[in-house]
Amino acid sequence: MRLALDAVEPELSRLWQEEADKGGAPRIGLFTLVALASELPLLGRAQGVVAEVAATYPSRTIVAMWRQGVDAAVTADAALHRITATGAACGDAIVLEATGGGREWLPENLGHLALTDLPMCVWWVGDLPDFDKLFDRVAVDADLVIVNSGEMDLRDLEKLSMICKRIRDSTALTDLTWFRLRPVQELIARFFDDETALACLTSIERLTIEFNPRDGDVDAASTQAGLLFGWMANALGLKGDTVAWNRGSGWNEVTIGRLVGRFEHRHRDDVPPGSISRVTMECDGARFEVERQEDPQLFKWSREAPGAPVPPQTLRIKTPDESTLLIRCLERPKRDLLYEKSLHLGSKIVRVVAPRLSTRIDG
Amino acid sequence: MTDNPFRAGLETERTPQPCVFVIFGASGDLTRRKLIPALYNLAVSRLLPPGMTILGFALTESSEDQFRANMREAVAQFSRRKPIDEAVWADFASRLHYVSGKFEVPESYQRLLAKLEKLDKTNGTRGNRIYYLAIPPSAFRAVNDNLSAGGLVSNDADRYTRIIIEKPFGRDLASANALNADLHRVFTESQIFRIDHYLGKETVQNLVALRFGNTIFEPLWNRNHIDHVQVTVAEDIGVEGRGKFYEEAGASRDIVQNHLLQLLMVTAMEPPVAFTADEVRDEKVKVLRALKPILGDDVARLTVRGQYAPGHFAGKPAPAYREEPNVSPTSNVETFVAMRLEIDNWRFAGVPIYIRAGKRLAKRTTEISVHFKHVPHALLKHDRLAATPGETSDGSRVEPDVLAIRIQPDEGIGLRFVAKVPGPTMTLRPVTMDFRYGSTFGGSGPEAYERLILDALLGDPTLFARADEVSAAWRFMTPILEAWEKSPPAGYPNYAAGTWGPAAASDLIERDGRAWRRL
Repeated sequence: MRLALDAVEPELSRLWQEEADKGGAPRIGLFTLVALASELPLLGRAQGVVAEVAATYPSRTIVAMWRQGVDAAVTADAALHRITATGAACGDAIVLEATGGGREWLPENLGHLALTDLPMCVWWVGDLPDFDKLFDRVAVDADLVIVNSGEMDLRDLEKLSMICKRIRDSTALTDLTWFRLRPVQELIARFFDDETALACLTSIERLTIEFNPRDGDVDAASTQAGLLFGWMANALGLKGDTVAWNRGSGWNEVTIGRLVGRFEHRHRDDVPPGSISRVTMECDGARFEVERQEDPQLFKWSREAPGAPVPPQTLRIKTPDESTLLIRCLERPKRDLLYEKSLHLGSKIVRVVAPRLSTRIDG
Repeated sequence: MTDNPFRAGLETERTPQPCVFVIFGASGDLTRRKLIPALYNLAVSRLLPPGMTILGFALTESSEDQFRANMREAVAQFSRRKPIDEAVWADFASRLHYVSGKFEVPESYQRLLAKLEKLDKTNGTRGNRIYYLAIPPSAFRAVNDNLSAGGLVSNDADRYTRIIIEKPFGRDLASANALNADLHRVFTESQIFRIDHYLGKETVQNLVALRFGNTIFEPLWNRNHIDHVQVTVAEDIGVEGRGKFYEEAGASRDIVQNHLLQLLMVTAMEPPVAFTADEVRDEKVKVLRALKPILGDDVARLTVRGQYAPGHFAGKPAPAYREEPNVSPTSNVETFVAMRLEIDNWRFAGVPIYIRAGKRLAKRTTEISVHFKHVPHALLKHDRLAATPGETSDGSRVEPDVLAIRIQPDEGIGLRFVAKVPGPTMTLRPVTMDFRYGSTFGGSGPEAYERLILDALLGDPTLFARADEVSAAWRFMTPILEAWEKSPPAGYPNYAAGTWGPAAASDLIERDGRAWRRL
């Protein structure tokens, strides 16, 4: 049954009272999570993901979607999240549906429905339009905005970089794809945890990133590879002011100062598009490599550096689902300066070869 | 530690340097139940550094393959993650090695040294060592001396040697000091990690967060607002095959001297200036130094000991302590302890601390509860005729507020306060606000041993006991234990299994006009 917006809170109170009468779980909320589902097919996906988040972090979730219509209206559904289908309640599940011009009313209503005095985190589900007033209006009121650059094109890194700069005084921006990269970053970082290997760092001359391209993709790199490259270039102290690109079939190379970065396609059906399959760094006499194995969750870490012998290591990095990534983002709802630096530098480096941003799209 | 630019901003800003982790007592129960499963789980979590090697050392003759097979069984049985991840296990198993030897025979250490040097070359462990003594205390000295004599301990800046020891750290002040002196002949204090797994528990660390990460509790955390504190470490099980050990230790040495006093220290310590090893431990040890000694006649007045008789638990009969395997049928060892303590410092002067710990009690629970004072003035209309502060007009007392920190099971924090019952009359009733770790944060964190082993690998001793802490704890406990030895208990066994201990434990608190919290 669709509810008027002013009936949402009473309905939730009634549901919690029922829960209390049954001796159920206490009402706890750590934050409000808003999922903006820009297309109808994304609604079910968004609802499934936020339900899993609420099972880990008790919270109020609001999934907002919109459809064409003559009359401007916003209506709601209200229910409780449960840890399992028949388990204890663990949060408020609100779905807002806007029709016609009611889309414009969403930001204020999201604000009204957010939990008092707790962070509001906004997840934009799917690809992000180049310009969307709704996104901007919701973003300024949020503490954290979460996007997924993995569902975007390479040129969108520049868009995200611009958004990040625009909202950073009020709102933190983060990215599910950034959290997908975290375990790989950790493996790369451990190459240089001792002095002997660290000494090689200034002489790294070649960096190769292999990734799984999307079908028919013409981008020089996946957004994931671009972000990873931005992070590595930042750690290596590269500036990205002068870059030169070279292209071939299934590969692209960029020269930045002393370093040649190479992006190579490696097609795999068993990993999500854009995923990293191998990262190699080389300099005279040393080689550092993280490589995905036949089992797509297994990675082999190996290092050949003079004077620092160490056996290779096999590690499992489980492919995280969307809810796991979202939970990781929500653990620290504040600015991630490392992400911002990596995004800015990565977008600066790939801007030359990424198609220009499309024309303005409102609504 | 290197200045690795790839680490800047990452979650794991510190990673352990590769080392050989040598387990003395590798064929023992602790290794199987806790150590190898914890190390395996660290490997699954990708927290072990490349090259990290585990070397078992024990009397039992065994090939490396046999050792690996035994450890695989142990992981399959005791790891919190099931089933075994075969790929991770294969990598982990390739780092497991074994040397058999006798703890007291110097030649065994020559073989150990040769093996370590070989592993350094193949695995890049660069002379870094951690020795984990999962052995009886009687063997500590032999291992300590032989490590030193065999050239297996280094204090060089470019390599580290650390030693981890398990409780008991002595059995009284003299033996604890002797143990510390032995260790200090070979290791500096910064190389010694005395493990108390209670400190690896998330909720104990959360107690620090609760006290020093919030502003609302600390202003109340003193004698002006706190009436008394209760600390309970209750187990519902018996000695579970540890009869021989328990006959030597009893509840005082098994629980009170270490786990329970650790909980007390974290509850009562002053805010450290930083969350660093020495700052935290400096504050903790001050609590022990401020504990009012229990001497002479006070031992009988302020302490209670007990031993369980047959009873029942969970609908099944439970045997008496004296009927347990490897326990003397005339044993006078205590399986229950209760005490009334006082901390003589500015913050807690005059606030009684009631502690109790025991086996075969009614419920498995560990909890610290802070009981606040009664309201000073009966403000409410219906309270006007109250005879004493806090009493309502019908003579019943307004329940004081209680903050309860549950360590296990069901970790969390509960706050009991008073609210008005809806209706036309001013009837007050205590209500509870509950924070549960599991349902708030979901999932399960690392086990205590995982956290503590990782800290030892990182060289962070914050959650380990320091020598002066151990000595101070024994300085408090030893006079009590000596008095008990001089006056054997009468009337043992004195509580039925499955109950909350002897009646004298209730008397201890009730004569102060208080009662143990119902758990």
